[in-house]
Amino acid sequence: MTCSASGPSAVVVPATQERTRWIRVGSSLDPDTDRAVEEALQPLLQAGKPKLVLLFASATHDLECVASRLADAFGEDVVIGCSTAGELAPDRSSLGGLTLWALGGEGFTVSLGMGQGGPEGLRQAANEAAHCLDRLERRAHTVLVLLADGLCGDQVEVVRGAYDVAGVEVPLVGGCAGDDLAMQRTHQVFGRRLLRQSVVAAAISSDAPLGIGVSHCWEPRSAPMLVTASTGTEVISLDDRPALDVLLEAFEAPEDVRTNAEIFTSWVTTRPLGIRRRDRIEIRYVAGADFTRRSLKTIAEVPQGGLAHLMQGDGHSVLEATQQACEMAAQALEGQPMQGLLLFDCVARRSVLAEDRIVEEVQRINSVRGDLPVGGFYTYGEIARTRGAGGFHNQTLVALALA
Amino acid sequence: MNEVPWSLHLLSEVLAAFTVDDPQALRSVIHRVAEAVDAEVVAIVSPQQVKLCIGLSSRQQAPLPSLVTRQPTTLPLGEQSLHAHWAPLGEKDQLLVARLGEPFDLEERSLLRAMGRSIELSSEVLRAVKAEREAKEQALLQATHDAMTGLPGRALVLERLEELLQGRGCEPDATPTVLFVDIDRFKQINDAHGHASGDQFLCAVAEALRGVVRGTDLVGRLSGDEFVVVTCTRRQEEAEILARRIIERVSRPLLLAGKLVSHSPSIGIAFEEVQTLPREGSQAATPFEAAAAAATGPGADPVAQSAEALIENADMAMYRAKDLGRGRFACYDSGMRLQAQRRAATEMELRRAVRHGELLPFFQPIVRMPERRIVGFEALVRWQHPGHGLLPPSEFVPVAEDSGLIVEIDLHILHAASRILADWKRRFPGLSLRLSVNVSGRTFVDPALTAHVTEALEASGLSADELYLEITETMLVEDIDSTTEVVERLKQLGIQLAIDDFGTGYSSLLYLKRFPIGILKIDRSFIDGLGIDREDEVIVKAVIGVARALGIALVAEGVETDRQLQILEDLGCDFVQGYGLGRPMDASAAEQLLQQAALALERG
Repeated sequence: MTCSASGPSAVVVPATQERTRWIRVGSSLDPDTDRAVEEALQPLLQAGKPKLVLLFASATHDLECVASRLADAFGEDVVIGCSTAGELAPDRSSLGGLTLWALGGEGFTVSLGMGQGGPEGLRQAANEAAHCLDRLERRAHTVLVLLADGLCGDQVEVVRGAYDVAGVEVPLVGGCAGDDLAMQRTHQVFGRRLLRQSVVAAAISSDAPLGIGVSHCWEPRSAPMLVTASTGTEVISLDDRPALDVLLEAFEAPEDVRTNAEIFTSWVTTRPLGIRRRDRIEIRYVAGADFTRRSLKTIAEVPQGGLAHLMQGDGHSVLEATQQACEMAAQALEGQPMQGLLLFDCVARRSVLAEDRIVEEVQRINSVRGDLPVGGFYTYGEIARTRGAGGFHNQTLVALALA
Repeated sequence: MNEVPWSLHLLSEVLAAFTVDDPQALRSVIHRVAEAVDAEVVAIVSPQQVKLCIGLSSRQQAPLPSLVTRQPTTLPLGEQSLHAHWAPLGEKDQLLVARLGEPFDLEERSLLRAMGRSIELSSEVLRAVKAEREAKEQALLQATHDAMTGLPGRALVLERLEELLQGRGCEPDATPTVLFVDIDRFKQINDAHGHASGDQFLCAVAEALRGVVRGTDLVGRLSGDEFVVVTCTRRQEEAEILARRIIERVSRPLLLAGKLVSHSPSIGIAFEEVQTLPREGSQAATPFEAAAAAATGPGADPVAQSAEALIENADMAMYRAKDLGRGRFACYDSGMRLQAQRRAATEMELRRAVRHGELLPFFQPIVRMPERRIVGFEALVRWQHPGHGLLPPSEFVPVAEDSGLIVEIDLHILHAASRILADWKRRFPGLSLRLSVNVSGRTFVDPALTAHVTEALEASGLSADELYLEITETMLVEDIDSTTEVVERLKQLGIQLAIDDFGTGYSSLLYLKRFPIGILKIDRSFIDGLGIDREDEVIVKAVIGVARALGIALVAEGVETDRQLQILEDLGCDFVQGYGLGRPMDASAAEQLLQQAALALERG
């Protein structure tokens, strides 16, 4: 199996100053919000005042309450976060949990931003959020972390809106908020505020390198097909045939998949679409189908006129991608010791592994990080722009390693 | 990954981003160009400027226009360099595409060239389609919206309201509601400040209304100064709160042609699901009520089920609000329909009456104290109705004011009364008579007033100091800039003002000094209290003192008893008027009174 992966060739600048940098991760599985936040806070409180706290929590938690507690503990100007479809923490992958990922020390500078989606959708929101870069005290290495509403319009626009501000020199990473697969509404956190249809951002600049790894390891199972009709997040036809029928026939879908929307959504999790790019394939998660229009629903654009593949993967390919993305991120640090990892992992990959094999993903992550802090969440879409101008992904793991 | 060669599909992928629905279509296109060839930078550049660019900061973009003619194949970016390709885009612009890593191969360069040309063509098509769509939208807008204020017109208001009434738009527990907003004294404002200012005024009202309603509400203009707000409310209080907000916001004074204008709106509120009008047993309070009821027939009242009916109901409630005073609101109830029918019937009758000369001046004597001699008359309008007999002003003046007929009526009385008084002066030369003519607010600011006064004086032969125009103090100070102009013109003619109902309004000493006031008429409410209420006596005494000090004659109105007359005499009041001294009477009765007065004068 060939994994599709990409990452920056980070330029290592020798540290001329001995400024401290630290990363801490706290987490809890306690369903009680108050107790969960107190438990997750413990490792952070021991480290001193953070410059950034990323909050990733299940939609079952009272996020407003958590945000308020964090703002009380550290101030309003360091917290952003979002609801999830699962959380990642050292040694575990959870559902219904809460993870706090924090960094601090003189070696990091951070600036936060927020944009509310308007008539122009998430592009404008991402653009506004990305303007936090204007206020950032720049160090040698900079990255913009984006957390967006995962159920609001075309997610590709988040990357476009942010790239208009960040430009070629600042890579983008991030993920789209989830809601434990309820697919109803997601939330974003900015300071004490709980938001919807918004993008929140943290611009991080560091004395030391930042490495980004991206991998999905899905394989094409069809020849490329022309996307003959699509609009927004609906793929209507491939090679002039109804897109749903093309998919069902190619994989010889059983009868219940052809008639039951719920069964279809579960079945199609391991059968995404792939958009052909210059030297790679970008994955688009199929979130559902319109059985009347015979079309496929995605959460990001599959451009009309583009070339699409039917893709397939399995537990093995998911685990391969995990390891590959983490290693790639670590390698991009070019010899500088890693302080910690931040992960944006597609919820569909989790679904492929199911609960009995999820532990294997954690093991793969641990094989790269050792005992260093790691945290992240299961997303409804991943962001990683390291080259070119695009960078929206699905069914992909995006890893940010910080030296 | 290289088994599929570059092909035109990339071109069509890029061009698919051209859509009139995306206001940033061209930006979307250049993003797709970048995504298609993994480029970090895409820009549309002319030798003068960077028209659009992604990937570079403003600082990094700055040198690009100077590079258009040279078209270098690499661009520096910090310690790295971008491989660049320039493709023509129209006659002067270039599509610049640049990326880190690999340079563009021949096929990519060919593709980018095709993209440049296609973007140019597509932009032209997009512009043409947009222009056509905008023209259509503009035509639709003009057909459905009021050109001056930009507000939806009647058709669109009705359409929206009909949707609400059919259950589309309001929450399940909310009711379609109409607020009918009418600007008090708008015609006066328009007449006094000119039509251009009137238009400016209406635009300001439209803006104020837009600013005060919720995003889901619709503000429309039906005609003239008639606006409507279509909304949904759960309780009557919600609509009342909105009405108060509108009154507060719309009543803020406006600067028109350099002058601050005070105004207020009256608002009628109507909700869906009103009761049918209870017709049986309702009593006709006036001859017009009976006529109106007869004209419509029993059971003819529609309930507010159609949009038209709902607006009509709100309109009727607005008239009730006006009856309550300016800047008020009222909610529709079924009794208002009959009242509106009465009003409409009265207006129709009144127009006929004006044409047929049924409106006559009546004369109430003004008597000098202490000798109790007639020194003049106040001319008052009466309607000699062919069917209902003599009607007092309360029966028709409110309708005349609302319909604008009041100006015609006021001027008619001015001319007729002047003629009659001049005739009396010739026939009773021993009596020194003066005439006081009531003028409504609308007539007072009518630009034609001074011309009519001049004409009345010339036609009758009265001198200016024998004619007083009687107005209320509220009229004088309410729109001080407009009234000052009128007063100045009248002053030049030598006309003096009589201030009616003095003491009930502003009672400002400042205007007594500023304007040519010849007579103050102290309000009857103070006269009623003479001999009963000590405070009234004190007030009357104080006003007499003020009038004396300023050299203004004082007339006590509403004098009915000998006791009141005695007290006024004791207080030193100059002139009196009231039923006790003579009711308003027609010209022949007044003439008889004058004959008696002339005889008495001859007898010494």
